[in-house]
Amino acid sequence: MKTIEELNKSKVPIVIFDKSLDKLNDVVLFPEKVKKAKETIAKIGLPKKSTAVNK
Amino acid sequence: MKIARYQLKAGHELRSYEFISEGPKGLILKRIQFTLVNRQGIYNLAFGDKDFTTGELDDKAVSNNGDSEKVLATVIGAVFAFFDQHQDAWIFATGSTAARTRLYQMGIAKYYNEISTELEIYGQIEEDWHPFEKNREYLAFLAKLKTS
Repeated sequence: MKTIEELNKSKVPIVIFDKSLDKLNDVVLFPEKVKKAKETIAKIGLPKKSTAVNK
Repeated sequence: MKIARYQLKAGHELRSYEFISEGPKGLILKRIQFTLVNRQGIYNLAFGDKDFTTGELDDKAVSNNGDSEKVLATVIGAVFAFFDQHQDAWIFATGSTAARTRLYQMGIAKYYNEISTELEIYGQIEEDWHPFEKNREYLAFLAKLKTS
């Protein structure tokens, strides 16, 4: 179990689960944004080279 | 994150979130959604205000509720919560207007030192992705977890 200090430092917030929000997963709440995302990704894809380094 | 953020509620898949902004304009329900864009595991990040009169969500709303930093910190928190469960995903984000995209740019720049230890962040310039730099303007953003 994480300590309070670890939790406070964590970038991952404490989230309250609410089942009703799962119903929204299959509903596109922001269709214009999703359309733009699809168009952009279809056009230019993902970055050619990842700059990932070890955490 | 050192900045205060609002309490997030989410579904079990950590794709749909809501929180309540509190300020001089009252209580504003905000929703955040990560929507799968394609089979490469790219999700669109969008958030907006719920209009209690129409029930619709507005991602162009300017709430002016005096808590933009706290809202931004909350959205960044949702990004990390999402990545906690979707570790191979990419997140795409852009503003609903050019001005809003610039706000995102400033927001990412503000927290860049803190979040870039764990995330790769790219910005779109014309038709290519570039590693994010604080003082450049971008059309859209992509983020993914750095791999170990």
